[in-house]
Amino acid sequence: MPTPILQVKDLHTEFLTDGGVVKAVDGVSFDLYPGESIGIVGESGSGKSITALSILRLVPDPGRVVSGQVLFHDQDLLQISGEEIREIRGRDIAMIFQDPQSSLNPVLRTGFQVDEAMLAHGKSRAEAHARTIELLKQVRIPAAESRAKDFPHQLSGGMRQRAMIAMGLANAPSILIADEPTTALDVTVQAQILELLGDLNRDLGTAIVMITHNMGVVAGLCSRVLVMYAGEIVEQGPVEQIFENPQHPYTWSLLRSIPRVDALRHERLRSIEGLAPDLLHPPAGCRFHPRCPFRIEKCFTDEPRLQEVAPDQLAACWVTMGRARKEMGADDLIDIRPGAGSGVRKGELTD
Amino acid sequence: MLNRGTLLYISQRLVLIVFTVFAVSSVVFLGIHRLPGDALFNEHLHGTQYQLLLHHYGLDRPLWDQYTSFLSGLFLHGNLGESLVNRGVPITPLVLRELTVSAEVGLFALLFTIGLGMLLGVVAAIRQNTWVDYVLSTTSVIGYSMPSFVIATFLLLVFAVWLDNFTQGTFYFQIGWTGRFGTIGEIWLPAFALGFPYASIVARLTRASMLEVIRQDYIRTARAKGVRETVIMVRHALRNALIPVITILGPLVIGIITGGVIIENIFGIPGLGKEFANSILNRDYNIVIGVFTMYAAMVGLANLGVDLLYVVIDPRIRY
Amino acid sequence: MATSVTYPVPGPGPAPALGTAGFKAPAQASLWSDAWRRLRRNRMALISSVYLVLLVAVALVAIVHTPYSYREVGVATPYSGPSWAHWFGADILGRDVLSRLMVGAQISLIVGVGTQVFVVAVGVPIGLLAGYYKGWIDSVVSFIINVFYGIPDLLVAMILLLLLGPSLNNIIIAIVATRWMDMTRLVRGQTLALREREYIEAARSSGAKPAKILFGHILPNSLGPIIVQATFGVPAAILFEAFLSFLGIGVQPPTPSWGSMAAEGLAAIRIAPHMVIAPSIALSLTLMAFNFLGDGLRDALDPRQKR
Repeated sequence: MPTPILQVKDLHTEFLTDGGVVKAVDGVSFDLYPGESIGIVGESGSGKSITALSILRLVPDPGRVVSGQVLFHDQDLLQISGEEIREIRGRDIAMIFQDPQSSLNPVLRTGFQVDEAMLAHGKSRAEAHARTIELLKQVRIPAAESRAKDFPHQLSGGMRQRAMIAMGLANAPSILIADEPTTALDVTVQAQILELLGDLNRDLGTAIVMITHNMGVVAGLCSRVLVMYAGEIVEQGPVEQIFENPQHPYTWSLLRSIPRVDALRHERLRSIEGLAPDLLHPPAGCRFHPRCPFRIEKCFTDEPRLQEVAPDQLAACWVTMGRARKEMGADDLIDIRPGAGSGVRKGELTD
Repeated sequence: MLNRGTLLYISQRLVLIVFTVFAVSSVVFLGIHRLPGDALFNEHLHGTQYQLLLHHYGLDRPLWDQYTSFLSGLFLHGNLGESLVNRGVPITPLVLRELTVSAEVGLFALLFTIGLGMLLGVVAAIRQNTWVDYVLSTTSVIGYSMPSFVIATFLLLVFAVWLDNFTQGTFYFQIGWTGRFGTIGEIWLPAFALGFPYASIVARLTRASMLEVIRQDYIRTARAKGVRETVIMVRHALRNALIPVITILGPLVIGIITGGVIIENIFGIPGLGKEFANSILNRDYNIVIGVFTMYAAMVGLANLGVDLLYVVIDPRIRY
Repeated sequence: MATSVTYPVPGPGPAPALGTAGFKAPAQASLWSDAWRRLRRNRMALISSVYLVLLVAVALVAIVHTPYSYREVGVATPYSGPSWAHWFGADILGRDVLSRLMVGAQISLIVGVGTQVFVVAVGVPIGLLAGYYKGWIDSVVSFIINVFYGIPDLLVAMILLLLLGPSLNNIIIAIVATRWMDMTRLVRGQTLALREREYIEAARSSGAKPAKILFGHILPNSLGPIIVQATFGVPAAILFEAFLSFLGIGVQPPTPSWGSMAAEGLAAIRIAPHMVIAPSIALSLTLMAFNFLGDGLRDALDPRQKR
């Protein structure tokens, strides 16, 4: 059993606002193995981005990591000095962000910004520059030399994001955290970027943490997925298993809400009832209970912990979908795996 | 950077400047020469002397004639005529000499303004909401609310009167002007007084702009790359924060030119501003026209310079 | 407001609208009452307003009464410093400084407010017309503004005063002549932006006359920035007048202006510093007050404020 390169243990990150304390990340734990690619999925406000930022101690004011451990090569990243974490950023653990238009400095040349990732960690200008050109080619930017001299506004969205990826990989980090890298891009470009990331993950062995709200992205790229809601992980496990047989009602609702091109005409779009949780005053008991179709009395009062519901699959629910289907008349499960036949199956369960 | 578009833009602006100078000097010229009575009225001269003088200055010719010879003298020869009050003093060399004096003080004031202003603005932004920030913010409002002569007065009180009384003589500050380029002792106080109100404005603007820039996503990206905080501030934040400052640079330069008129009078600096004020009081119309024309040209060029500076700082701007 | 807990019913059912619990919509507020509320909370603006009210009071009182006549020479020993008889001392000709300050307040306020009234009266209509009709009116106006954009206003004013002769009226004329363009540019910009809004188009298509649109819709919506600009214009005008008087081309003696008083005082700074300090402080405080007030107004009228 290989050892994980990253272990997040019981991470708590809070924001001190005028209205009170917002627990953006409330007890998140997971392991990341070398070369693995995992996805963190959730709606806005679920805490997925803040989790990623907490790992590198980049949480903006008024946020603060209040407790927990982030173990990387036997070092707790939350305890090391400012200078030490700065060394790790961009060199061992890199992070790229959502909107490459705003994430790149408009007054500096693109090539320089990629250089900078290496200059910050001791490389010389000449070395950095040569490697930048290599990297730009690796991320499939045509005419790399002249593109490097361009400013960000002279590049297309897709190219900007590729440049960001190049920036992230510049120092061959063991982990690349990607915070919604495709959300701001066209669908076709999205597909290309995801393909690129997949190839890089395979070829370079860089572990990828993909943060997204889009289940489809996860399906294409990741081997494991963590589903977050209201600052907590509510389900985690291998991608296929989760997609085929989600156990947490939230995951199940998410998967159901994806519109299908082959749905019958009279099918209504399914959404998750209710509003996003108020993180200042989270609901008592299970945080999802106000919106859950399968809640029982216990859900109102006791918070469920993550338990194993299937081999290697954990869910935090008192009921779980298995029981919901058997006892509570849950609607049919619709298989949304890519390529899984057409048509809606009624009266059958996929086990 | 220096492509066809930019060159075209520069030439368009230069044409506009020439036109503005033409328009402005014409308006002033014609306005002045329509005054009842004439320029030499104050001299209380009569008879032939009067006629001779009139003839000498060409004031006995029809207005149109005078106007055309003024224009041709100006644009073809750079000749601004002769002083009415001080006989025989050609204006152009006088004005040029004074221009260098004013420009020197103005330049020091500008450097001070931008340098100190930006420095304080950055400090206030980095230390936002601490006492440093609060002190600087309050001082800056006071700074730009005080007329430059009030600041000059205050400085004079401190340095020339009170400190002078203690140190018996020059506490590294003198009034007046020595030689061609003045001395540091003569320049620093007027430059400070001139620049202080504008330094306050620059400080406020820099602070606001830095605060906005620091919140930008690309700053977060730089941190995620592991770049050192000081490098981030200088290389990433400052350059972007400069952009709004350059926007006010045009009005700033004009303000320094305007303020210079007052400051030169207070500190006895033989610059363009002092000359202008004197010539207005003395009704030396020729000098008034000459100095004003020079100012119009200066300002036009200064504005053009600022616009070109934009291109250097912000690569998104191209003409 | 407590949330009622509904007990579970098996099967899908509507969840309680949890997010709306305890949510009260604020009472309807107009831009003006909102702005007034915000302004009231701005301490510096309040202090400034108090000061300005006092200043106006002093200026009004000075119409009928000042401790001594502002022009009477020799009521005190020339250059004498502050004393019980003369709170701010006496000037070069033995005139009472306090009395002259009070009359000077009148001058400053008349110039400050008067110029802005005219600037608004001239600049706003021109800006509205230029922005609304565009076309040749706009070309002409924009052209004029661009040509004169760079010319230092102080110098132009000085020349105007040279041509017209120094007097209070001419000072006002000179200042208005150099400052109307900023207001026009502001109003033009606002008009250009606003005319594209849908409600303007709605008004137009329902047959409203241009005058009604301009004065009934566009102007009220631009009022905020106009007020702020005018409020900042007052100290600028006062400063302008002070500069002109300081140089000797403004208000002529014996009428006292804070600027000319400062000039006289500066000449005597070594022996009678009070002569220059008094008008300098008066000027600084007044300018500061208007600036703080303008700041406060701008923040209060900004519709994008969060509170």
